[in-house]
Amino acid sequence: MAERPEDLNLPNAVITRIIKEALPDGVNISKEARSAISRAASVFVLYATSCANNFAMKGKRKTLNAGDVLSAMEEMEFQRFVAPLKESLEGNRREQKGKKEARKDKDKKADSEEQDKSREEENDDDDERMEEEEQNEEEEVDN
Amino acid sequence: MAAAAAGAEPGPVVGAAAAAAAGEEEPGPGAPCAAPLRLARLPLARVKALVKADPDVTLASQEAVFVLARAAELFVETIAKDAYVYAQQGKRKTLQRKDLDNAIEAIDEFAFLEGTLD
Repeated sequence: MAERPEDLNLPNAVITRIIKEALPDGVNISKEARSAISRAASVFVLYATSCANNFAMKGKRKTLNAGDVLSAMEEMEFQRFVAPLKESLEGNRREQKGKKEARKDKDKKADSEEQDKSREEENDDDDERMEEEEQNEEEEVDN
Repeated sequence: MAAAAAGAEPGPVVGAAAAAAAGEEEPGPGAPCAAPLRLARLPLARVKALVKADPDVTLASQEAVFVLARAAELFVETIAKDAYVYAQQGKRKTLQRKDLDNAIEAIDEFAFLEGTLD
């Protein structure tokens, strides 16, 4: 496990792809530049998290929510991210809703209540569960 | 005998959901091996690990992690483009570390990065 936050890297392949998509065809990127951008992205997430957390704390909430992150973007002077982020959020909400409904149907068929939360942390509508039931067994984000 | 790729797709819901998750207008044609999503996606698990690294953070919703991941993608796009301006000035087609350093020094929004990349 990484010791320091800065060592938590985002996958090179994805970072490289994002960079390539952003730049004109035929443009290359040196390994050092790619690695520096990757690191910068990690620092960005850490900084944004800290900023967002301040908003959550101001709102006397213990759970960071999407709105806090959007507020952080404005605070960090990345206002131009806000509109595309809101759009993406809409898509994510639709997807989460679809998954939840699919799960409900599956539960009805299986005739058993979900005991273990899904292992795929990415696919869970965690925010609803967290706020209602506060069961965090598989939810890894609590410290 | 492996099921042919065409038709082996788990179901339209997955394709549509994946396309919707990309947050883009393209709904995906519904063809097997759906049209490649335009955007690369950062894995939420890794982003979550970064969020957890902050001792002051108690909990973060799935949505918060999602938005952070998406913001990080936008950030990478942005900084790559801004750095590229310097490569162009140097008449280069390869983005180099110094282009990034120049962008960080010149652009206010990147000030938070100073001293963090070494």
